[in-house]
Amino acid sequence: MSCELNRCRIGFRVLLLWLQGGAAILPAWSSARIGVPLLMILLGLGMMARGAGASVEALFREGTGAYRAGDYSRAARAFSQAARRQPAAGTLQNLGNAEWQGGQTGRAIVAWEQALWLDPFNRAARNNLRFARKAAQVEAPELSWDEVVSTWLPIDWWAWMTSASLWLAVGMVLLPGILRRRKAAWHQAVAALGIMVFLLSVPAHFGVHTRGRIGFVVQKDALLRLTPTQEAQGIARLGAGEPARWVRARGPYLLIRTGRALGWIERGQFGLVCPYANELSR
Amino acid sequence: MALLMSQPKTEIASNVVAVAGFDPPVVRPGEGAVYRVSFNALEESVVWPEKLNAPAELDIRAGGRGQIMPFNGTNFVPLTMFNYHVRAPRLGRFIVPEFTVRVYGKPVTVPAAQLSVAASLPASVASAQGLVFEVPETNLYAGQAVKARVLMGPSSGGQLRTLMQVQINGEGVLVDQGAARQRVGPVRRGASSVVAYIYETVLTPLQTGKVTVFAQGFSAGNRYFGPAVAGVGTGPVPTNLPQFTLLDSEPVELQVRPLPRQGELPGFTGAIGSFSLEPPRLAADPVRVGDAVKLSVTVRGEGNVGRLAAPPPPRVRDWQVFAPTPEPLPPASPMAVMAPQPAVAQASATFVYTLIPLTTAARATPAIPFSYFDPGRAVYVDLTIPEVPVTVQPGAGGADLRALQQPDRGSGESEREPGLSGLAPTPGRAAATLTPVQRRPWFALAQLAPAAVFAGLWGWDRRRRFLEQHPEVVLRRRARRALRRQWRALGRAARAGDARGFADAAVAAMQAGCAPHYPAEPRALVGADVLPMLGGLAGGAAEVARRFFALTDAARFGPGGADARELLALQPDLEKVLQHLEGRL
Repeated sequence: MSCELNRCRIGFRVLLLWLQGGAAILPAWSSARIGVPLLMILLGLGMMARGAGASVEALFREGTGAYRAGDYSRAARAFSQAARRQPAAGTLQNLGNAEWQGGQTGRAIVAWEQALWLDPFNRAARNNLRFARKAAQVEAPELSWDEVVSTWLPIDWWAWMTSASLWLAVGMVLLPGILRRRKAAWHQAVAALGIMVFLLSVPAHFGVHTRGRIGFVVQKDALLRLTPTQEAQGIARLGAGEPARWVRARGPYLLIRTGRALGWIERGQFGLVCPYANELSR
Repeated sequence: MALLMSQPKTEIASNVVAVAGFDPPVVRPGEGAVYRVSFNALEESVVWPEKLNAPAELDIRAGGRGQIMPFNGTNFVPLTMFNYHVRAPRLGRFIVPEFTVRVYGKPVTVPAAQLSVAASLPASVASAQGLVFEVPETNLYAGQAVKARVLMGPSSGGQLRTLMQVQINGEGVLVDQGAARQRVGPVRRGASSVVAYIYETVLTPLQTGKVTVFAQGFSAGNRYFGPAVAGVGTGPVPTNLPQFTLLDSEPVELQVRPLPRQGELPGFTGAIGSFSLEPPRLAADPVRVGDAVKLSVTVRGEGNVGRLAAPPPPRVRDWQVFAPTPEPLPPASPMAVMAPQPAVAQASATFVYTLIPLTTAARATPAIPFSYFDPGRAVYVDLTIPEVPVTVQPGAGGADLRALQQPDRGSGESEREPGLSGLAPTPGRAAATLTPVQRRPWFALAQLAPAAVFAGLWGWDRRRRFLEQHPEVVLRRRARRALRRQWRALGRAARAGDARGFADAAVAAMQAGCAPHYPAEPRALVGADVLPMLGGLAGGAAEVARRFFALTDAARFGPGGADARELLALQPDLEKVLQHLEGRL
């Protein structure tokens, strides 16, 4: 939903720019019979786009004000709504702070991890995670080497890098022949560079994929169950903020693998860093 | 083995006797009494009923139950007692009837016992003796230690007896047996002061919510309570032992709250109370790089000192710090025991950290974060162990030390103690969604675009190279196009009745259809060139072609022109000729 909203907003902004830049063209258009209604529709859409952007900023400001006033639950609500509409590293960092101040250790850790997911250069979120894990005595998730590599850059960068390097290499191999140019050394060098970057970024790409299954227990003393049923035998009690990996889903339960055991947990008690896995499983 | 065999035996009586009675046997309406049943058997052997068959009018509540093993000179004799607190609402006699329980697997009859409720008590009857259980604070936090005491006053005869095997019963409460103290001292009761037996210990509630606790213990004396009745057919109750009586207290309800999460400080290890630090002491100064030095830290205060967990050692670049070991608490002095006791235990704990300097750059020991929760103010208080200045001199430094001195990844970060950051001033780097771009469907579609472009370019190049090697393909394709173009033109001319245009288009179409076979410029071909191409057709087709060429040549080169109208009638035959020529292309 938030994704669609954002796409719409980007589209509306493009339209706005077009409207502003194409002021000279529009009068001619508007003289036509359909020109005026179309102009009105476009202007309305533009105003909606500006309104949506303004509401995210207003929520961010509201959250900041509530946090400074000590109303952490209201701050968490505002930051959460802002992050749902447009996930942003700063918003998620502030959401984590508000959740932490409200005693929601697990939710705070999820928010900070999401901030790092979007922006691995966010030192404040990284520092907060270290602080929270030390205070709550919980471990950070154990990452494989490809997952560690994937944390070096924002998640989307790896996909673009993989794609661009692949097509660059393909282009450098094919285009000289097609264009009937002599293959120069620099063609081969660029192709080799592209292939190298592609091969190096593939593991990170895979790391992003597997890291998307990492989540954290958001409720204190959450029961890890042997089976996905209400009456299931408990395997262990998980502390808030304890990391685990999502394996699969069944009804209202998720099968997760923690450092201690494999078991089922209620969906509401587990927060994924990247919620797409949870959405896909529904 | 000999030592084991020399120990006195526990006497397991073959003849178990149950004794039941009320203490006191006579009470006024509304006054309490204790219904007590005792067995000369082990507690585990008695299968006690869940519910007592007592008169419905009696307000009855289960009290303590316990076992004691007095020594009769040769053996230990087990004695088990069950207490019930009873209150009668009106005058009269109330009888708990005889009932049977199983002891050592055999039925034992508990005799009936009678409680008389009278308006006035006989002078010989004293009120029941009980324990007083005092907890100075009942509104506590989970994990907060609180001192509790059990008091036993003198008996009605003024004799002060001892109290044995004192227990504090209640779920979710930890009783620190190591902190137990017993003494005899004055206790204020209203305006007067009485001498009482005092048992003090420290309670720690572990679970939150309402927690009910009470105390019990055996008083040792020679008092004989009530008209005890032995079971029919049993032997006499032994009277050569001191009389032990199980006493218990009224229950006390504790309200236990969880510790607040808000405001928790680094280094909190569960310390609750009020604490202070003595200045940390370093065992040696100066020290050499690689040599271990001990840092003693003493925490004093009121609270759960006995269960104090030391703050974890910090990770710093210049020092290697090992987890501390708590030093044993010093034994309490007699003065301390006799001194007036505060509401919570006062004590101290000393933690000894072992530190190894890794470089001569270290100027002081690292600060160690520590904090405690003050239940009085309901806030966390910082009690960070401060740095201690020290001089570090160069040492021999072995391989182990050099390995420790290697800067590990993130050591720069671990130097700084993490803390909660402030708020981000702006939303910062944003994305449309948290879902990575490679998981979005449009990304896969976007990859198809360059793939399609490259595939198209590659295919176009292949086709281009093929046509370069096979020019006849191009010629035939061009001829086919020209033939069709002229075919359409002659059709239009025929429909318009333009005989001359029809004839020109027909000749041009035949020339275009034959040109690739020679090859030659189509306009250079004459009828004689076309006729060999019509070999497969009937003789009429060649005649049709000849007539078209003859007429157009006559029209082009003849003096007076020619009438081409008759050729319009030959359109069906011409169509066959053109179809034949197109088929050969």
